[in-house]
Amino acid sequence: MTRLHEALKDLAEEAPPVNLADAAIAGHRRRRRTRMALTAIVTAAALVATTGGAVAIWPRDTQTATPQRADTVADLPDGKVEPISHAYQTPCRFNDKPPYTDCSLQEWRVVTRTGTTYRVPQALVANDKGQNVRLAVSRDGRMMAYYSREARAHVVRDLVTGAEVRSPVKVTEDRFEVGNQLVVSDDGRYLVFDPKVGSKKPGVLIDMRTGKSVTLPGKYEAITVKGGVVELVRYIKTDLWLMPVTGGGKPVRFDGVFINFSELAPDGRTVAASDMKDQSKPVLTLLDTKTGRILRKVTVRGLATPGGILNISVWKSPSEVMVLTLDGIYSLYAVNVNTGKARHVADYSTETVQSLAMPGTASGK
Amino acid sequence: MDRHDDFREFVRARQQALMRTAYLLVGDAHLAEDLLQNVLTKVVGHWSKLSRDGNPEAYTRKALVNEYISWRRRSSRELPSADPPEHGTSHDNATLDRIVLRQALAKLTRKQRAVIVLRFWEDLTEAQTADTLGCSIGNVKSQTHHALARLRALAPELAELRIPEVIR
Repeated sequence: MTRLHEALKDLAEEAPPVNLADAAIAGHRRRRRTRMALTAIVTAAALVATTGGAVAIWPRDTQTATPQRADTVADLPDGKVEPISHAYQTPCRFNDKPPYTDCSLQEWRVVTRTGTTYRVPQALVANDKGQNVRLAVSRDGRMMAYYSREARAHVVRDLVTGAEVRSPVKVTEDRFEVGNQLVVSDDGRYLVFDPKVGSKKPGVLIDMRTGKSVTLPGKYEAITVKGGVVELVRYIKTDLWLMPVTGGGKPVRFDGVFINFSELAPDGRTVAASDMKDQSKPVLTLLDTKTGRILRKVTVRGLATPGGILNISVWKSPSEVMVLTLDGIYSLYAVNVNTGKARHVADYSTETVQSLAMPGTASGK
Repeated sequence: MDRHDDFREFVRARQQALMRTAYLLVGDAHLAEDLLQNVLTKVVGHWSKLSRDGNPEAYTRKALVNEYISWRRRSSRELPSADPPEHGTSHDNATLDRIVLRQALAKLTRKQRAVIVLRFWEDLTEAQTADTLGCSIGNVKSQTHHALARLRALAPELAELRIPEVIR
């Protein structure tokens, strides 16, 4: 017996006890009655149709009725708005009795720096296969990139001027798979779309100004596009490749396995990441992107909860990097990489937020 | 005694095992119960034939997996199936394995996840897995290879779980 089997067994033990025999029999009887009623209705409708003035009457399934929206969040207005602090995807609704999941009201929302929340109905939240579709935010919160169903392409919107640019690269909705990612550069000029990170399906770097696009190696995953450089990571061996948008550069290999990469620090060569061996601990590893060496490990102090680090993103200063944790709620901290001290910045409730898009980092990372 | 007594007896005996499989497939207790109930609702309609000349458990497992593959595609979204560690608790290796595995499973395709569950939880052979999924043995080999490679890529520490190598 492998440890994989044992881990699956442990996971399976979480399944609660059930007693489904009578519910299944009742369900079977209900379905049979519905089928018979439908047959009667179709027969009646056919009879009406033959005499003219047919009226379509169908039984309503109360479980799938669309609930009314309870809140009053306004749509993102056209034109000038203001930079945003983050974007988030609202969660599906779960109903216990009877058990079902309703994702019909799921949507992308953005929150401005002054705290106003807007819905973004033009941003597709999921495709017909149910795969989440990403919305990305630039480092300064000024640019927002999303997929427009109408345009069948990504759109970059400047929230300060209101200007919008459509990507020249058409993307069909069925290309979004589990693990799709979207990154937008600081100036909104470059976009990286990856339909499925870490797969053979390559990502694409799109120059929104010239319309040119460059295929990226499928095994690499984009972290950021900053200062004309795409930060790419390959996780299996943990290679990091700082690739100029014009091409070139070469990967550096780290000694170890790392995830949760930050953008390049202001010193132009350091990145922060999580060591897989320490993943359950609040530890940052600083890595040298020139040599691949581990510079130092920093134990983070002052987190409200001891849970693991979910994401490391942008540098606020040469000594502070932003860290997102998830332990019941999402919490954002600025962590001093010299002292390890965490400064709490914000919390986001998981009751209202399913996934977060933070500035300057890949959405879906 | 009514005509559903045999079915009730079968469900009472096997529902917990089937529920565990459903839970591994969907990663959410409510959805797993919903999935299994949907399948059992269909099974009861064919019960007289199944109990007479079929293998009800194999049929139900097959229906469960195939319902999962099509049902999730039709009605569900990627769900928050990776619960973070509980506040203020420390975790032993088994707990961490479970958390990491759940997070990694959530990122597999439905078919890859089904293959992992059937091969490494149900301990089905490649031929039995192919029969359950209604595909070729070659497809099972390929799906298994990709699923294990994806698990390793998503969570390299799973390599320490002595994930069996597959023939390339």
